[in-house]
Amino acid sequence: MHDVGTSVQFIDLTLMSILFLFVVGFIGGLVSGFIGSGGAFVLTPGMMSLGVPGTVAVASNMCHKFPKAMVGAYKRWKYGQVDLKLGLVMAASAGVGVWIGIQLQEWVLAKWGQAGSNLYVSLSFVIILVVVGGYVFFDAWKTSRSGGEEKVSPLATWLQSINLPPMIYFKTANVRISVWFTIPVGFATGMLAATIAVGGFIGVPGMIYVVGAGGLVSSATELVVAFVMGFFGTIKWAMHGQVDIRLTLLILAGSLFGVQLGAIGTTYVKEHMIKVVMGSIMLIVAVSRGLAVPRYLTELKLISVGETTLSIMGTASFIIMCFALSFGALIILGAMWKAKRAETAAKKAGFASI
Amino acid sequence: MKNFSDQKGKGRKAVDESSGGSGTTSNHSQEVKRKILVVGKDYAFSNGVVDYAANLSQRLGYDIIAMSVNPALGTSGKFFSPYNQHLRGKFTQRAQEAWVPVATELASQGIRSEHVVKFEGLAGAIKDLNHEVKRIDFVITDQGIKDQEITGEIPLPVFSISGYQGEKGMAQEHHETANRGKLITRTIGLGVASVALYAAVFTNSGTVMKYFTKGGIFTALPIITVLAFSFVHGAFASNLWSVLGIEATKKVQPRVAPKRPAQRKRPRPQLHLNA
Repeated sequence: MHDVGTSVQFIDLTLMSILFLFVVGFIGGLVSGFIGSGGAFVLTPGMMSLGVPGTVAVASNMCHKFPKAMVGAYKRWKYGQVDLKLGLVMAASAGVGVWIGIQLQEWVLAKWGQAGSNLYVSLSFVIILVVVGGYVFFDAWKTSRSGGEEKVSPLATWLQSINLPPMIYFKTANVRISVWFTIPVGFATGMLAATIAVGGFIGVPGMIYVVGAGGLVSSATELVVAFVMGFFGTIKWAMHGQVDIRLTLLILAGSLFGVQLGAIGTTYVKEHMIKVVMGSIMLIVAVSRGLAVPRYLTELKLISVGETTLSIMGTASFIIMCFALSFGALIILGAMWKAKRAETAAKKAGFASI
Repeated sequence: MKNFSDQKGKGRKAVDESSGGSGTTSNHSQEVKRKILVVGKDYAFSNGVVDYAANLSQRLGYDIIAMSVNPALGTSGKFFSPYNQHLRGKFTQRAQEAWVPVATELASQGIRSEHVVKFEGLAGAIKDLNHEVKRIDFVITDQGIKDQEITGEIPLPVFSISGYQGEKGMAQEHHETANRGKLITRTIGLGVASVALYAAVFTNSGTVMKYFTKGGIFTALPIITVLAFSFVHGAFASNLWSVLGIEATKKVQPRVAPKRPAQRKRPRPQLHLNA
């Protein structure tokens, strides 16, 4: 175990790579602070494009994730948005989900090889993001049309009405539900985290539509889940000496600014904006991952596509992924700007009316 | 300080202009500005109403005219009572003393202020002062004055400060302004500490990478490092957003109050005697 680290090739840092890590860290942090997750899906391939080995990229990203989530969770806890008990219940079941997810990945890898594993990851990405992201976006659109008033989903209302012991009361989320219905949500979060590294894409919608928590509470609580999972994930990677602390600290430099700005942003906007941002990002990322599927199908000899076309699709996939993150950040900053301007105008009007 | 209850109709002379150069007096050579009338029943005004009026006058460019009213000492028929006169003198003196520091503070903020004392009913005092002093636009009443106390026709809009909430809000704003310097100093300090931490790692990156990637017991090193950076750099980032004026808006979700179980009466044995 001690010698693995010495065999890893760590990259030399240039000014461009430093700036890249800082900026992506900031944007990723902004999105995470706002919707509870995100950033990892750009950071990991982004680092790999700089020449960082895959495992080091995953490990370094993981190592920046848990302190960022901690700072974001603390900030949002101060705003009264974090349900610690819900977060810990979710994190505990997510731990089991991660373990099962890794076993499944290894089984797929053993049966169909690297291309098969990549195809499994990309298809999971596309199917889950299109289905869940599409529903989140549709719900946000519906809420926005009805004046921004959020309602508890019929599924959550039904599950809350079932008295299946042990029942648990989540104070901040103001939800009383059976533990048996929260465990699958956490489990699925862990499974997705082990597969596509962004568990929040299941965790947050799960807390909203299955448990029945509000968008603000769900996204804030997801930061607790991210902290717990990131912390234990980091221990695992650091034991193998895979963490490049330089990369971690550079990402952290940007993301600590971003995550706090994102957390502040949640106090300015209407609750359904969380869903708008999350749904948009998920659908754009689905397109990006969809473009990666033909390469894996070609590698498995299921279809035949030219190398030039595959290369163009690969580049387009990465650009669209960066666009997804930037688009999310722009919606957040735009919504904050609009809300701040409205607040200032209201204040002025208040004084003028006197 | 003069007693205005017996100086009706004397216009601007009714206003006290002898506050000892403490900044309370208005400069009549300058143009007559619009005024906010602050009315209080006690000899001293609450911080809430003063802060609120100061805030408004700064934004609107108004002067402040403060009026201490004591209706109890204005009862007709007792005017020539020596004891009543003594009490009026005492009230006037105390009101004047209480106003001096307030006036100094207002002057330091560039707000012109005046102070008057009246001994009659609140509505009458406001009406009289409105005749005596021109360009009063509206009235703000201090805590402790109820709406019902201002009866009769007053040709001015009257606003009231609703006690603790107003005082807290305004005092907090004032407090924040005072602490801005401290916030900037703290931000700079944390920024320097943050830069120092980054410099320490990146100037010794060779050594750092050697030990941090050893695994085993050295696993603690990257974890402790990121936690230390989070505290210092995270606090710096938080302070920096505050310095730049980007802070959470007031409409944050209130933390849900814990539900306390309903108190139940424990059944106690009772003995009934049917004699």
